[in-house]
Amino acid sequence: MKNFWYLFSAYTIIWTALWAYVVYLSQANRALKQDIEALRAQLDNVIAANDASKEGGV
Amino acid sequence: MAGGEKNGRPVNFWPGWYAMLTYVAMVAALWCIFVYAPTEKAQGIVQRIFYFHVSSAMTMFVAFFAVFVASIIYLWKHADWWDQTAMSAAELGVLFCTLVLITGPIWGRPIWGVWWTWDPTLTLTLVLWLIYVAYLMLRADATDPRRARFAAILGIVGFIDVPLIRWSIEKWRNLHPDPVIVQSGGTTGLPPAMMLTFLVSLTAFLLLFVFLLRQRMAIARRRHELEVLRYKVDEALFG
Repeated sequence: MKNFWYLFSAYTIIWTALWAYVVYLSQANRALKQDIEALRAQLDNVIAANDASKEGGV
Repeated sequence: MAGGEKNGRPVNFWPGWYAMLTYVAMVAALWCIFVYAPTEKAQGIVQRIFYFHVSSAMTMFVAFFAVFVASIIYLWKHADWWDQTAMSAAELGVLFCTLVLITGPIWGRPIWGVWWTWDPTLTLTLVLWLIYVAYLMLRADATDPRRARFAAILGIVGFIDVPLIRWSIEKWRNLHPDPVIVQSGGTTGLPPAMMLTFLVSLTAFLLLFVFLLRQRMAIARRRHELEVLRYKVDEALFG
């Protein structure tokens, strides 16, 4: 098994890098989804508050 | 349903069956590499790095070709979707190019006796990596359309290096080996079992590339959506 460690290192690095990138993409997607949901809720609340104040003013 | 919208909100952007297909292809590739493929007589087991090293290199070329095409269309149509495609493909191209630049020296050390040499093919690959790292640095501020245009030009011009790398492997020989998959005259230097193993590995890498590209594009799309929502909230709050 001459040069086994070179082979082992190459495949370990490839799999670690690909796995780390998949995890990064997954976490970034999840965080962005949560931020979008929060902003949508905030926008709905602000629009509802604006509508209520307009109706109160009339 | 990939990249669909439900009530204006993105839903499950990639079907489970595609992820499963990619996973099965990767497992099949590993089985072929470590069990099915014969050990090369001259280089020994370290030659098995070839399957993922060359598959990474070809996936990298596909990624940078996608940057090239998407950048041309972006400059022509000015549609955000093409800019997002180019940027996402560039990031993946840099990822696969990094894998090529790491696995190449690990393979070369026991065969050539050195980790790195300024061989034309290796040097041009390093230059390609630097070009697209510069592209990503230029695109770091995703909201500036002027930066997007400059990056698109860099994405197009940088692609010139890709045919140069291919040419250097064939004509500008130094330490890097001759092409073995497709040689001059359309023949191959690989025995059938090694060729099949290589094709399975390449298929697995291309499936993975498309999977990652869709995921990365979903991030770019959501970042854009977030910017639009922030603007709307500011407008609703302050008029």
